[in-house]
Amino acid sequence: MDIRLLTTADLPLIQHANLENLPENYFLKYYLYHALSWPQLSFVAVDVSRPRKGAYDYPKIVGYVLAKMEEEPADGVQHGHITSLSVMRTHRRLGIAEKLMRQSQLAMVETFQAKYVSLHVRVSNVAARHLYEDTLKFRNEKTESKYYADGEDAFSMRLDLDDVAELAKRYAGGEDEDKDKDEEKKKSNGAADAGAGANSAELPIRSEGVDEGEAVGEVGRDPEAGDKEKKVKVAVGRGLGVGDLVEKDETKH
Amino acid sequence: MPQPLAPKEAAQFRTIIRSFEDKQYKRGLKTADLILKKYPRHGDTMAMKALILNSQGKPDEAFPLAKEALTVDMKSHICWHVYGLLYRSVKNFEEAIKAYKFALKLDPTSAQIQRDLAILQVHVRDYQGYIQSRKAMLQARPQIRSSWTALAIAHHLSGNLTEAENVLTTYEGTLKSAPSRFDGEHSEAVMYKNSIIAEQGDFQRALDHLESDAKHNLDRLAVLECRADYLAKLGRKEDAVQAYRLLIDRNAEHIDYYEKLEQALEISRDDAPARKAIYDEYAAKFPRCDIARRVPLDFLSGDEFRQAAESYVALMLNKGVPSLFANLKHLYSDSFKKDTLREVVEKYLTSQDIDSESKDKGEAAGLYYLAQHYNYHLSRDLAKADEYVDRAIEKDPKSVDFHMTKARILKHAGNIKEAAEMMDKARKLDLKDRYINSKCAKYQLRNGENEKALKTVGLFTRAETVGGPLADLLEMQCIWYLTEDGEAYARRGNIGLALKRFQALNNIFDVWQDDQFDFHSFSLRKGQIRAYIDMIRWEDHFRDHPVYSRVALDAINLYLAMADKPAANGTNGADEEDALEKKKAAKKAKKELQRLEREEAERQAKQDPNKGGQAADAKKKDEDPLGLTLAATTDPLGEAMKFLGPMLQAGPKNIDAQIAGFEVYIRRKKYVLALQCLNRSLSIDAENPRVHEQVVAFRKLLNNAPSDLPPKVLEALKAEFTAVDATADLTKYNQDFQEKHQASPLHVLSAVKARQTLGVDLAKCEKEVHGLIEHASATFTDAIAALETLKSWRSAEVESFRKAALAKWPNVTRLSE
Repeated sequence: MDIRLLTTADLPLIQHANLENLPENYFLKYYLYHALSWPQLSFVAVDVSRPRKGAYDYPKIVGYVLAKMEEEPADGVQHGHITSLSVMRTHRRLGIAEKLMRQSQLAMVETFQAKYVSLHVRVSNVAARHLYEDTLKFRNEKTESKYYADGEDAFSMRLDLDDVAELAKRYAGGEDEDKDKDEEKKKSNGAADAGAGANSAELPIRSEGVDEGEAVGEVGRDPEAGDKEKKVKVAVGRGLGVGDLVEKDETKH
Repeated sequence: MPQPLAPKEAAQFRTIIRSFEDKQYKRGLKTADLILKKYPRHGDTMAMKALILNSQGKPDEAFPLAKEALTVDMKSHICWHVYGLLYRSVKNFEEAIKAYKFALKLDPTSAQIQRDLAILQVHVRDYQGYIQSRKAMLQARPQIRSSWTALAIAHHLSGNLTEAENVLTTYEGTLKSAPSRFDGEHSEAVMYKNSIIAEQGDFQRALDHLESDAKHNLDRLAVLECRADYLAKLGRKEDAVQAYRLLIDRNAEHIDYYEKLEQALEISRDDAPARKAIYDEYAAKFPRCDIARRVPLDFLSGDEFRQAAESYVALMLNKGVPSLFANLKHLYSDSFKKDTLREVVEKYLTSQDIDSESKDKGEAAGLYYLAQHYNYHLSRDLAKADEYVDRAIEKDPKSVDFHMTKARILKHAGNIKEAAEMMDKARKLDLKDRYINSKCAKYQLRNGENEKALKTVGLFTRAETVGGPLADLLEMQCIWYLTEDGEAYARRGNIGLALKRFQALNNIFDVWQDDQFDFHSFSLRKGQIRAYIDMIRWEDHFRDHPVYSRVALDAINLYLAMADKPAANGTNGADEEDALEKKKAAKKAKKELQRLEREEAERQAKQDPNKGGQAADAKKKDEDPLGLTLAATTDPLGEAMKFLGPMLQAGPKNIDAQIAGFEVYIRRKKYVLALQCLNRSLSIDAENPRVHEQVVAFRKLLNNAPSDLPPKVLEALKAEFTAVDATADLTKYNQDFQEKHQASPLHVLSAVKARQTLGVDLAKCEKEVHGLIEHASATFTDAIAALETLKSWRSAEVESFRKAALAKWPNVTRLSE
């Protein structure tokens, strides 16, 4: 098992892992949309010990976190969002989900100055809730009724990233402190360490995962969004100029 | 020039455009007709009408109308632009580019046309054209940063790194003040420029640039990784050590950092103690780090390996980590480690202080490990595997993992039927887990139960998708299911549905290719340039992915079989058996079609009448749901080419692709291309049994010099084909090959097949194939290959072979099929 940043070449097998593990699925363009909008935020766990098969072997994905920034936050606060997280049943109890999440959170703070990270989880998914609530210390904000396509409710959870911001500052060697004055009041340095120290995660019984459902404009419509119509506008092919002829994306399903 | 309109109609024309943009197609058409009533030959209106018709899915009406629009107004940029857009929509990019260029000539100031042209140029990788377009666009809008970035991208992709860097530097020179450190576009532009400097191999300059311009860059991880990389490449070992240590502190689970750290510390790969010390240091620093504990098992040996294995294995088994075997099995290529790991787990199981009560830790985990150990091909003893897994199941009769492994053991014994049943049992132990549901469906498909498998996966697909589970799987691009489904149909002889799936998969890969289209402009607005470049480069070769070559090979094999059996198409030489089979198949297909129609009717009856979308449904109606049209193709080899071409282009080093290529080309009498494939195969693996068959067949072909071959081509082929000499005795050559590979049943089988090619009596060859059952190292997999060979010869020996093979391997499902 090896944890690293996601690359475009990983996407087919990330899609595969998602389809194999979770009921909320997306077509490839939606993954591309994440990889090309916030390339710093998504990470994969790959099986590096598997022997190569043939000349064109792509690393097997045993876990991934697909993350984004909220494009137009309703509360006006920059924050990240976990679109999907999954670890293969065969690779449980190694703390992979937690480690993937910590990498993503660090990047949310460093690259996009995120103040918190949010996610949705099925009310019935005990294993995933355990990971978020107990291991990662997310707290439940509210219940979103009938959030999922099959009618199940979701818990809308969030985690403040103050501790991660402290950690980011430590990694930066404190060199930027003066520059960051306007940002956030400093917290005591009881920061959770990205690797050590955190309480041992007794990992889920089922393939853990969260699934997200937000429609995303013209690039990568989220098929799970269903009727919710929480459209985030991503202007693709906005009409300009003479003739005002627009190349609309007609390949959408 | 666009024809002038009266003010009222001019306003109406603008309405059409707005309607089109808002997808108010009906309204747009109505307005267009109003104008055309007064100005029946108004080119621009005709063009807009054509554009709307095309968007409504009526290209048959759109194209003639757009052409007519052009004939009435050749000088209208709108008409040409629309013409290009129509061609773009049917993916005829070449014609679209031509039309855009005409449009642009007529209206050189149109940013919109210029932009559409540019996007298409980069889409088809016309980098020189793209550079020209981007230069023009930069001139039009030099104040916008992305205009500069785009031109740099154009140079970069075309391979001109210096010019790409220059463009970025020129723009930086125009900046009056430094952008905010939280300016994401600027931050990325700096890193993009840095990557271009590094790509030129000038690491000192890349490092200097990084340290001066990227000090506060927002992409911290990229800065740290690049810096470490440059320091290492520049030989600044001490600094590189610090840099990699910093990276490990951030992410202790990335093996690359450790390896680079070892290199920077100048530790030899053979210096196990020194390497171990590093990993021990991090194991102490990060108590929950896996890599620091596991990786030393890769390089330790002897007693040190045993000790490290003991402590790692105990740690993992005590915690009940189910992936332990998966994480260690790569060590099994070393037989000492393979045996030692088994001994370590056996010893663990005999120790007194392990948890024998837990359902998944301690003893249960140890038993589970050994079950997997004996199930693995390098240490296989299926009887023992089964014994251990049963003991594990005794510990936890409700364990999904244990039952799943039991199913795998059955599969490895060739008993696919019982394996599928066992996987279903495992599935029922956790109905809410999609992973086990997927595995169960996969096993059902392997067992030829397509309908049952669809019901299984249907428990997790979205209920509201029009068309049921299969439509959802298609929409979500569920490659694995469609592939297994198609393969299962192919095994069952349902060519139509098999081809249907393979074509659907091919469409998905086409969609993946088209997906990049929107990002040519999107990424410039988002400013994430390195990710965009990464995507472009991946799109250029993504069909080398095994998920594609598997589908392509499946489809090609079906088409080859169809080409070899023209009778099935009802043309020349249909023998009675085929006619009968065809009749049966037709009857079955009719029944199946009726079933589908019935289900569709039921589904529609159930549908919520308030949810509209009937029109959309009609558009989606599949004219050939059973693939009967696909199966009735009269040009199977032409169809095979559609899969072969992209596969060979993306993945020339894939020997299976080359082998398939030879078979297709030789049947199409494209001997030069066939030889090209054969020579590539030979350079990849000259001892491959299938390649041997092809070498013999090709030599024979050249010796007999086909009459339709021009002498010059024949000479060229003879010169290029050097694997076997023209004067060689092919019978002896084949015999030598067989003797050399006597220990391998598959090689022997190939030698027999080659003998058949050389004209040896079929009965004699059949007998030799039959004899393979007695081969000392024959497995049931070899027997299945032998059976397939006999089937392909339509041998009378099929049944007696089957009987004999089943006597030796009684529970092998594939032998009784």
